[in-house]
Amino acid sequence: MSKLQLDELDLQLIQALAQDARVSNRKIATELGVTEGTVRGRIKRLQQDGLIAFTAISSFEMAEKSRLAFISAQADVERVRDIAQEIGELPLINAVMITMGQFNILAMCLFHELDDLVEIASDKILALPGVHHVETSIAVKTVKYNARMAKITHKQADQD
Amino acid sequence: MPCAGDLHETRNEPKQGHAPCDKDMTGRMAQNVTFDPTDHAIVEQLRLNGRATNQQIAECLGLTATTVSSRIKRLEESDQMRVVAVSDFSAHGFDFLMKLAIEVDGRPASEVAAEIAELPEVFATHLVTGRYDIDALVALRDFDDLSPLLLDKVSKIRGIRAMIPSIVVDIVKYQFDVAPIETKA
Repeated sequence: MSKLQLDELDLQLIQALAQDARVSNRKIATELGVTEGTVRGRIKRLQQDGLIAFTAISSFEMAEKSRLAFISAQADVERVRDIAQEIGELPLINAVMITMGQFNILAMCLFHELDDLVEIASDKILALPGVHHVETSIAVKTVKYNARMAKITHKQADQD
Repeated sequence: MPCAGDLHETRNEPKQGHAPCDKDMTGRMAQNVTFDPTDHAIVEQLRLNGRATNQQIAECLGLTATTVSSRIKRLEESDQMRVVAVSDFSAHGFDFLMKLAIEVDGRPASEVAAEIAELPEVFATHLVTGRYDIDALVALRDFDDLSPLLLDKVSKIRGIRAMIPSIVVDIVKYQFDVAPIETKA
């Protein structure tokens, strides 16, 4: 990704909105000591550049998906991008990365019942053409987790 | 059809601008909050656009803005939902991501994981089943930050027997809409 120059104010805005995205432009403007127009313009630009998106994050309890698993896969090197894309389209898969190491795909899956994980990992992913081996490991305890950082793939339409 | 896509409203003026003074909801709600389809529908709208006004959401779902407002407040106060700005890795200048699988020896894995989680470069740490004990996700600005992190910080943590890195060369997808909800300050 090309280097986008963000200044201190952009980062302060991102931080404020990461805590509560429904705070009014006026309130943020007052807190940061700038005009409401500046806040509006900055937010619009950050959204257009695909650097922030406003969304709801719900608890494990509310989503009824309470467990996280890492699924590592060995896929044909020449098709790894396509395969990663296909995995990303499967239900319950929240993250897919192409990696260098023992495995070339790392996926993260949120699930409720163990059967869901088996279905994704052993039935769906392993059955994809070009996938040769799959290993899963289940997170039994979360020590740190930052849902405020993501890969923004769909730019949100701005509001104005 | 998702409603949030075709809203052209100009102002985002959430009702929370000035705090309402009804004090009856200030205490934490009971742990077992129940959710009905209306709650889930509101969350769905907020997922599409977290800055949609209560009025916009209300019109989409055939509710009143007051209902939307009080439902959102209830979900937030019971720590079941947060409406947030999610920022792209690149907004923070993180161009280098890595997963570290860690094998622990001679020390409780949760202690080791807690120390790893304290490092600012680490954005996720989990105790896991399988061949390794801890999986950590690391974000760095560039490759030069790798050696200080691994050699000066992570390797100094007692109880780490081995570290197996996987370097992320492309992120196809990374977005979590479900997460542990931290209690509001």
